[in-house]
Amino acid sequence: MQSRTSKTVLIILAIIIGLIFIVPIFWMLATSFKTDQEAFTAGLKWLPKVFTLENYQYAFGNNGDTPVLQWMGNSLFVGVVGTLIVLFVDTLAAYGLARLDVPFKKLLVGLFIGSLTIPWVITFLPLYMEFNKFGLLDTYAVLILPYSANAFGVFLLYQYFRGFPKELEEAAFLDGANKWQVFVKVVLPSARPVIWTLAIFTFMGIYNDFLWPLVTTNSPGMRTITTGIAVMQQGSFVSSPAKLMALTSIATIPAVLLFVIGQRSFIKGVTQSGIK
Amino acid sequence: MNKTSWKSQLTSSLFVLPYLILFVIFLLIPIIYGAWMSLHNWDLLNPVHEFVGLKNYAKIFDSSSYLHNLFFDGLKHTILFVVISVPLLVIVGLGLALLINALPGKIKGFFRTLYFIPYAVSVSVVAIIWLWILDTNSGLMNEYFQKLHLPAIPWLTDMPWAWISIVIATIWWTIGFNMVIFINALNDVSEELYEAGSLDGANRWQRLIYITLPSIKPTMLFVLITSTIASFNIYGQPFMMTRGGPGTSTKVLLMNIVDEAFKQRQLGNAAAMSLMMALIMIIISVVQLRVSNRKE
Repeated sequence: MQSRTSKTVLIILAIIIGLIFIVPIFWMLATSFKTDQEAFTAGLKWLPKVFTLENYQYAFGNNGDTPVLQWMGNSLFVGVVGTLIVLFVDTLAAYGLARLDVPFKKLLVGLFIGSLTIPWVITFLPLYMEFNKFGLLDTYAVLILPYSANAFGVFLLYQYFRGFPKELEEAAFLDGANKWQVFVKVVLPSARPVIWTLAIFTFMGIYNDFLWPLVTTNSPGMRTITTGIAVMQQGSFVSSPAKLMALTSIATIPAVLLFVIGQRSFIKGVTQSGIK
Repeated sequence: MNKTSWKSQLTSSLFVLPYLILFVIFLLIPIIYGAWMSLHNWDLLNPVHEFVGLKNYAKIFDSSSYLHNLFFDGLKHTILFVVISVPLLVIVGLGLALLINALPGKIKGFFRTLYFIPYAVSVSVVAIIWLWILDTNSGLMNEYFQKLHLPAIPWLTDMPWAWISIVIATIWWTIGFNMVIFINALNDVSEELYEAGSLDGANRWQRLIYITLPSIKPTMLFVLITSTIASFNIYGQPFMMTRGGPGTSTKVLLMNIVDEAFKQRQLGNAAAMSLMMALIMIIISVVQLRVSNRKE
């Protein structure tokens, strides 16, 4: 349908836009191999004049103020555990509400779905005070638990379970299985794509959160990668662009690689979530 | 019979119980507790919290109170960001999706991935990358400007450039997500509609206006509302790129709430500001829903 020239124009346009998305990341990588001094001096310098690894040595070093591997470990741990909790409680609740004889079902469904309209900012300070009261600031609990109350997953799975054919469950019940067995052996396997969608959304949400982990942690070892880098930028690395770029490169490269590998599932997840 | 149904209800309740407990502790109680805090003179360091009724809210609306300026200046800056960023997030997201869809099949996936990559970068890294690209003295952008004999632009230290910089960084970071959602929606528009359109002699532009856009309206609304909420919650970009400056011109509402809570330690005031902010967000979402439904 399209003419050859218009196709070429489109591809050139796509490449130019692609450069806008990728050049800043290359710039970060290039700067991370420069000295702080060179990064500061004027003049167009794409590649480092003197190629140095000292920024990486510093970031990974034992000086204690940039435990970058610990931060990445924290982010991964908090994201994975938070996601597992969400998956566990959300699938159970959604199935119970969609299919079982739970008392006050209508009230609960209304309450959970209604909570989706409540902006997060309302719970921010009182949650902080709650964790403060129990002495749980600066722990993994404060970095994980608040995300478990979000009703998005319950809503997503509730929709799915309501459309799930009853016959499969009934056959299993006739075979003498109890509710728990039916849930684990019949219902959960069928919901795998939706659960995967929820897992990806939840993990990205926790991993990318900024303000909450920033205000609820203060020891260097409890920082997530996002907040750890932010604290360095505002603190001792404020005028060390090259050191900062080494830190951000270490944080970014594994994330980007994982993302490129996993983005097909992510896109599939968006499709399946019914966001259309 | 009665006994078994009682038992059955009990075992069924166990399914909902774990989530319900988390919901109550980490959502319901905080909501009530937050409203309670907002009715008190709540100093973080003072163990006694005096009940003051709606006084904290009255201060927000009393133009002689510093809280009034703190709230409305912050709100003004947040809304300014929402108004600039949201249309771009929707239109550029759709534009990129249309571009990707028009590409030959083989390279579609490659460019989709490429445009989506910044979404994997965390906000502090996004801020740092753009901070040094836009640095007035040694940033990449001004180096090129100099080469083209253009004057250097104070990207982060002067208005309106500080806002432009924050918007650029935000779009670069998050546009891929909106694009992916639009690509999904575009793939679902029925081929038959396009064929009918072509038969009627509609050109590409007319097909976009009369077939594509109406077909993906629910997606547009979804992207519009989620982008608005995300933009309202902006914090990381100005916090790291401009620290609210120059002056306080990029100091957004959430920054002022955090300052009032943790720097001034006035949690009652900050809780009242949070509730007001949430109320405004809810009203805007409802208006967006209403307006878009009326057009139908």
